[in-house]
Parts: sequence; C-alpha cells; structure tokens
Amino acid sequence: MAEATPKIRILKGAEPDLSAATYQIHDESHTIGNALRWMLMKNPKVEFCGYSVPHPSENHINMRIQMYDGLSSLTALLEALKNLDDLCVTIDDAYTHSMENDRYERWDEKS
Amino acid sequence: MSSQPGNNYGNSYNNAAPSYGGAQPRQEMSYLCADCGSSNEIKPREPIRCRQCGHRIMYKKRTNRMVQFEAR
Amino acid sequence: MASSSSSHLPASVFNPRRHVGVHAERVSDVASTEFPGHYPGEDHSWNLAKFKENLKVSVKRLSQRSVEFDLVGVDASIANAFRRIMLSEVPTIAIEDVFVFNNTSVIHDEILSHRLGLIPLNVDPRLFEFRQDIPLDRNTLVFRLNVTCERIKKASKDGPQYINEYVRSGDLEWVPQGEQESVFASNPPAATNKDIVIAKLRPGQTIEMELHAIKGVGKEHAKWSPVATATYRLHPLILLNPSKPVPPHLAQKFASCFSSGVVKVSPDGQVSIDDRHLRKETMSREVLRHKEFEGCVELKRIRDWFIFSVESEGPYTPESLFPEAIKVMRGKIASIREAAEALLADSHDLGAAPAASSGPDADGDVEMDGA
Repeated sequence: MAEATPKIRILKGAEPDLSAATYQIHDESHTIGNALRWMLMKNPKVEFCGYSVPHPSENHINMRIQMYDGLSSLTALLEALKNLDDLCVTIDDAYTHSMENDRYERWDEKS
Repeated sequence: MSSQPGNNYGNSYNNAAPSYGGAQPRQEMSYLCADCGSSNEIKPREPIRCRQCGHRIMYKKRTNRMVQFEAR
Repeated sequence: MASSSSSHLPASVFNPRRHVGVHAERVSDVASTEFPGHYPGEDHSWNLAKFKENLKVSVKRLSQRSVEFDLVGVDASIANAFRRIMLSEVPTIAIEDVFVFNNTSVIHDEILSHRLGLIPLNVDPRLFEFRQDIPLDRNTLVFRLNVTCERIKKASKDGPQYINEYVRSGDLEWVPQGEQESVFASNPPAATNKDIVIAKLRPGQTIEMELHAIKGVGKEHAKWSPVATATYRLHPLILLNPSKPVPPHLAQKFASCFSSGVVKVSPDGQVSIDDRHLRKETMSREVLRHKEFEGCVELKRIRDWFIFSVESEGPYTPESLFPEAIKVMRGKIASIREAAEALLADSHDLGAAPAASSGPDADGDVEMDGA
C-alpha cells in the first residue's frame, strides 16, 4: 500500500461546488453514521442526508449529503460535527450532575 | 537433494537439516506407560514394554519446545 | 384522562407525538418525525438551548457492578451510538499472547488460551497505550501461570485429596516490567475475580505458560468489551380509555394482565395506573389477548425515553462507563472534524472542484482505459 487510507474522501460524482456529495468516512460504522445523519437532517439547509455501510467486511461508511440553494455540504458536515460534540458535552454534564446530586437507590450486588 | 518436486517435506526433514537432531548423539527417548504412568526409557529395537508393570502401551511425552498461541 | 390527572410523570409524556404504539402483533409510529420541514410552520432545526432544556438524565439504581439510568430527550441514533460504544469501543486490557512451555492437562492448549483471554483483568486501560508492534512496559503486561497438581500425602478421607486440583484465575502471577513496578504498586494487576476455574488437574499434570496482556477494543474481540451487557429499552406507558372503563368485576383480571404493582384496583373496583411502577411493566401485551378489554386500554412506549442498563465487567466502575463512552464518541467526532477541515482547506486552495481529489478511482472502481 502506497499511503495510509485518508479518514474522509469525496466520492466521484460530487457537484463541483459540493452542493451534493458523498463522503466516504474510513474506520467508522453505524455508531457515528446514524448519529451524524440525524444531526445533518436537523439542519434545514440540508435537502437530503443518508448513510450506508456498503459492505460489512469493509471498514467504512458512505455519507450522502445534498443541500438546498447550492450551499456547501462540507460546511454542513462540519457544522453537524460541532453540534454533535456540543450534544455530547451536554449529556456528559447532565449525567455527571445526576450522579453527584440526585438521590438514587444504592444496592449491594453479589458477583 | 530431492530430485522429485512436490515431495520435499519428508526429504528436507531428513537430509537438509543436519544441524537439528542429527548432529547430536542420539539419546534414549522417554515414554510414559499408559497403565501405571511411570517414565520408561526405550532404545531403538528394544521391546516396547513397561519396566514396572509390563504394560505394552506407551505414550510419547509432550514436546519441551515452547508453543505460541493467540488467546482468541 | 384518568392516568394523567394524578401523575408522577411530566405532562409532556402524554404528547401523542412521543408515543410508539404497541399492538398485539405489531408496533406503530416507530420513527421519529421531528425534522425541519416535516410539520408545516414548526421549527425542528438543531437548537442547543432547546435540547438542554428538554434533556433529562437521571440515575435510578447503582451497585458496585451495575447502573440503571434514564436518558430522556434524545433521538434513538444518539442513544444507540453510546450503547454501541460501551459494548465495542471502550478499551480494556486482556490476555492476547500465550506462550506454552508445558501443558500436560487434559485441556488443549488452544482451548486453554481462549479461556485465558476471556478473564477480565483489573488494570486501568487509561495507563496503557495500544501496542503497535514491539512489546514495551507501556503496552504489555506479563503474567506467569505455573501450576502442578500433586497428591496430598496424608489427606483425610473426606477432605481434598490433591493440591492444585483447580487452576484458578487467582493463580496468575504478575511479572512487573520496567516502570510497571511503581505504576501499579498500589493496585497490582490481577483478575477482577480470583475464583474463575481455568482448568482442572490430576496428580502429575502441570501447566507452565507465560501470558502477555494488551489493550484492545471489543470490536476486535469480545474479550476486550468492558461490559457484561449494556442495553436500553423505551419507557412503557399504559393509557386507559376514559370513555370505556374496565368493568369493576373484571378489575382484578385486568390488573393481573400487567406486572405486579403497575395497575391499582380501588375497593370499589376502579382501575388506575401507578406511574411510579410503570417502568416495571414488561409489555407482555397479555391485556390485548382478552376480548372483554378491547378498547379499554392502549399500550405505548415513549420514543425518546431510554432506560439504560449497564453491567460492568472489568476495570471500570459501572458509573464511569457512560462518561467513557462519551469520551470515545468525542474522540471520533474530533478525528472526523480534523479530516473534514483539511478537506475544506484543500478545496479553498484549489479554488474549486475539489471533488474526486483523490484520483480518478476515488470510488474504488477500476477505471477502464479505452485502449
């Protein structure tokens, strides 16, 4: 192999202005695929977003993004990633807060 | 060397590896009795028979070479 | 509605948009619809402030091995991502290489190696790196297993006859390498459970091996999964129909269709739902099998109310697994973001047309030449 596989590459057939493109994300699965797809679909500028795992033995996913008004899908992808990160921080904070402050049942489990 | 292609396994073991086994003086092999479990040294052309109990079934001992495995 | 008037549940739980229908032989309204453009005149675009307001995380039960908590107000894709990460992408340490010097037990080397790999170790993976190729003290733990079974000379008749009849996970001896002696001084590496039987021996049988444990993730092999199980289910909901109450003489039969404590029956035969025990409902759908209760009740689940149940097996405390999963998730996001930003910088440099920048065979197809 000449060089390491890039984390993301844009598949053939994308619009020149990237208003519609398919991104191949290497070393990822449904875990990120479905969560990212959901976050992209929360963007009103996104006309269509879908992902697929082309084959279970290939270690990548394809993420298709189509935009309204000739906007850049790459910008939308970056925005979705940022929003997803914010979401993670929010959930982490809420969980930590509940763990430290809520009253919950503590019990002794035999192992 | 072997003139016959496709028959290399047996030949190479006997002829092409003089550094392993063949060079050292041949030592007696030790076997375990299937009946009483005692260790018996049996030389070539000697009858296969346990010195303790007379049983005629013997087991070869496990290799003392290290074997590597993946824990999967 | 009878069940909502004196409810312990927030009123928004009764919003039909949050309900997944559970029927005798099928489910309905499974997919979420809250996307921009789905409902005319409603804004469902991503809004962090709104998300924060709706999100509710609440720990319910905690033991030294497991935790149960509610995650309310997120989409299934998010909850599922965390569940998947806890199962297969939170790293742990497990035995990977087995060097057998001697094994005269009845259990084969391969089987023994496999069993050793599955032993959960108490080592904090955060102190380790992933091994690339060379074993070092930063990425490999070494154990020895040296056990020989012998007959006890003067054994009592009904006591044990042999020593080392059982090879247990507690027989693993840690051999410190390099700096490990000081790093693990307070908590020497060993199996989390010392009583796992690895093999059984008889007098004269012996096992002698060296074991190398490394860091890995569950998607490579399940032995690296930090959990016994990590699952979620949706919160159940039972809606009684106020216009067709359950006949008082059938109230007990109605109550027995549900998990105990879920349905209350008053002395005069009035039926009501005890919301505090609603989460215990197994959703057996038994009530839907009886003609006399047809139309009396609807079974639902709340689409964005996830009841997580996580059982830790290994070095992590159960309460720390979910935050670790979030950490892994953020790491994934960061690596994709870095790559996407590089792609964006490339496309600015080129002015335009960054598509298919990685060559004509960017889709992996072989380009057929005309010649």
